[in-house]
Amino acid sequence: MLVRAGAAAAAAAATTVPGLRRLWRGGGSGAAACFPLGRALVDVRGAEAAPFLQGLLTNDVTRLVAGDGPPAGALPRALYAHALNVQGRCLYDVILYRLHESPEEEPHILLECDGGVLDAIQKHMKLYKIRRKVNIAPCLDLSLWAVVPGERAGDIASSLTKCADQALILTPDPRTEVMGWRLITKKGVNLSEIIPGSRIGNIQDYHRHRYKQGVPEGVKDLPPGVALPLESNLAYMNGISFTKGCYIGQELTARTHHMGVIRKRLLPVHFSAPLPKDSIPEGAEISTESGKSAGKFRAGGGELGIALLRLANINEPLCLNLAGDKVKLTAGIPEWWPKTASK
Amino acid sequence: GSWCPAPLCRGRALPRPPPGPACAVGRPLRWASSFSQPGPTESDPSEGQVFLSESCVKRLLEITEGSEFLRLQVEGGGCSGFQYKFSLDTVINPDDRQGQRGGARVVVDVDSLAFVKGSMVDFSQELICSSFQVVSNPQAEKGCSCGTSFSVKF
Repeated sequence: MLVRAGAAAAAAAATTVPGLRRLWRGGGSGAAACFPLGRALVDVRGAEAAPFLQGLLTNDVTRLVAGDGPPAGALPRALYAHALNVQGRCLYDVILYRLHESPEEEPHILLECDGGVLDAIQKHMKLYKIRRKVNIAPCLDLSLWAVVPGERAGDIASSLTKCADQALILTPDPRTEVMGWRLITKKGVNLSEIIPGSRIGNIQDYHRHRYKQGVPEGVKDLPPGVALPLESNLAYMNGISFTKGCYIGQELTARTHHMGVIRKRLLPVHFSAPLPKDSIPEGAEISTESGKSAGKFRAGGGELGIALLRLANINEPLCLNLAGDKVKLTAGIPEWWPKTASK
Repeated sequence: GSWCPAPLCRGRALPRPPPGPACAVGRPLRWASSFSQPGPTESDPSEGQVFLSESCVKRLLEITEGSEFLRLQVEGGGCSGFQYKFSLDTVINPDDRQGQRGGARVVVDVDSLAFVKGSMVDFSQELICSSFQVVSNPQAEKGCSCGTSFSVKF
């Protein structure tokens, strides 16, 4: 069963295979690459799947699930959200995918999460399930990929819609355009049958891309019980609704949004020299040249990473305090942030 | 603050109470009820029971018609993790447990009962709103500001 993403599918009637091959031909930074992701998929299905998830996640699940509103073809296929704890701190960053087509079918949602929390997130969901008519089970026969355009990517949208039946889901990453597309296939499928001419990328390049763009993903970037959703740019990544009803952790989040000022955010940082792997303790202090505290390192690799930084300090030269040494770094505002987000 | 709607499942909507006086301080809460499982099987005392306050009984006698009773359910979700849901219902299921006092009935399914056993159901009348509330739940820890949602002591 082929599931196409929204309007792009309708517009792609004129796409030709040669156009697709031109986009993919030749590796390197120009072409797009498919990355097999180490993220887990959880199957959530049942009559009450949507209201069940609605009470657990920051985003409005009714935007994803066909109801009495717009026809299924106009609804997005994927939705980004966080599950928070009662205190309003991040627990799990998830992407939801709608598998069912119409309101008449039993709701069937796939939930993507960090591979390391597959058991924890199922336990979390089962704790709050009580009597809801919903079944939760790990999805072990599907593969999840990220399709990320290179620097010279052209109109990838129309090219990618020309794909074979073996793609279950092919949809723009709901967080930001710079993350390209998400692809879900049956396990063991030959990717070049789905996207002719595609190349499989090294997962380290995927993480480098995320850190360069400042897109946090997984428990290392968003430590459960530590990270705060709004500081983690959940709103910039289309992961939260401020007009929906109650979900776990809503009170602090809504109050911060309506009354508070967000002074710190996760930002991409670039070190002057690559740091040895796993050498930086999470939470290592970052300070300005005059020694004032500017934030904390969160995660990264090589010369790239993300850090929780005070917005007031990001245009100054900064340094990371590492066991007595000071490593210089610069921070930047990601291009994909909303233009009003300069402060 | 958060908005906590109280959607009703089956049965008809709980009727709006007439505007009443502000809640009286020190209202005596005497409760005694029999809590049992409908049907021939013995009810298991370890499942727990729920108590009804005087004001709850009074209000239920005012609003219930025929075989209607007050159903209390616990759902996952809500600001603090779990939320109470009240509705008027007429259908009793095999896994329901019921308590009665003074002719008023409250029914809780066995899964929800695990979260509310030992609690009292009260009808609280304030200037800002009047509603059925679960009060003094021994299982509950901090809740949300409007009282609909609660988290559980582990």
